Amino acid sequence: MSEIKIVNAKGLACPQPVVLAKLAIETNEKVKVIVDNDTALENVKRLGKKLGCDVKAEKKNDGTFEIDLTRKAGAIKSKEDFVPSCSTQAVSSGPFVIVISEDKMGRGNDELGSVLIRAFLNTLCLQNEKPDVMIFYNTGVKLTIQGSEVLDDLKGLESVGVKMLVCGTCLNYFDIKDKLGVGIVSNMYDILETMSKAGRLLTP
Amino acid sequence: MNAQTSYNVILFKSVSYALKAENILKSEGLPYKLIPVPKQISSDCGICLRFDPTFQNKIKAALANKVEIEEIRTLAN
Repeated sequence: MSEIKIVNAKGLACPQPVVLAKLAIETNEKVKVIVDNDTALENVKRLGKKLGCDVKAEKKNDGTFEIDLTRKAGAIKSKEDFVPSCSTQAVSSGPFVIVISEDKMGRGNDELGSVLIRAFLNTLCLQNEKPDVMIFYNTGVKLTIQGSEVLDDLKGLESVGVKMLVCGTCLNYFDIKDKLGVGIVSNMYDILETMSKAGRLLTP
Repeated sequence: MNAQTSYNVILFKSVSYALKAENILKSEGLPYKLIPVPKQISSDCGICLRFDPTFQNKIKAALANKVEIEEIRTLAN
């Protein structure tokens, strides 16, 4: 058995971790790659599988990941055609956040806007990719209270893990705090922090 | 309502018919949900009213002679 080659790819931007891992596994039977982000983790894992290695990944307490690549006998098939995906995954490392700032979608006609926001939320329930967090403020908070026509949709989203932050100031302003039907009463600190850290921020 | 194995939708000629029907069902206290027209029916950005099939007769009666319905369809969940 040969030594384990350690590749420290912490702090390196995509596609560097993959490039280094690939070079290492081409000349060593066992390679341990250390990375510090999900994109690099996924790319290195994909590389290992593509090259026909045994792949074991472990998350460490300090937030880094160690990926053990072990070459199977005769493996290393492809040498050139691995393309790491750096673009979208890399920028969307933060949470996917949807901001609902009104109980309507779009400007111009309120009746139509009300229809559209309901259609938007209903469609969101059917999407495979759900947001990590939804933020409601201004008249958007009216969607989260009891009697809201989209309450079931929002509850459904919450039940599959979507975190809902509802602006407390806004609930207070409309005097509907006691009617909150979904999500948690939140504040500007949490709202701003969540928006600042978002990998993607979407407003209907 | 979402747990049902199938559901019905009422399709209308235009958004305004759907809204008129919605107002009627709301005032009658009948359960419905306004949803985008499912993609398998039309790729237009339309809306329709979804309802539990057990309410079909009541809903049809409520809308009769008030709102023109294009079609009622049953869809699998």
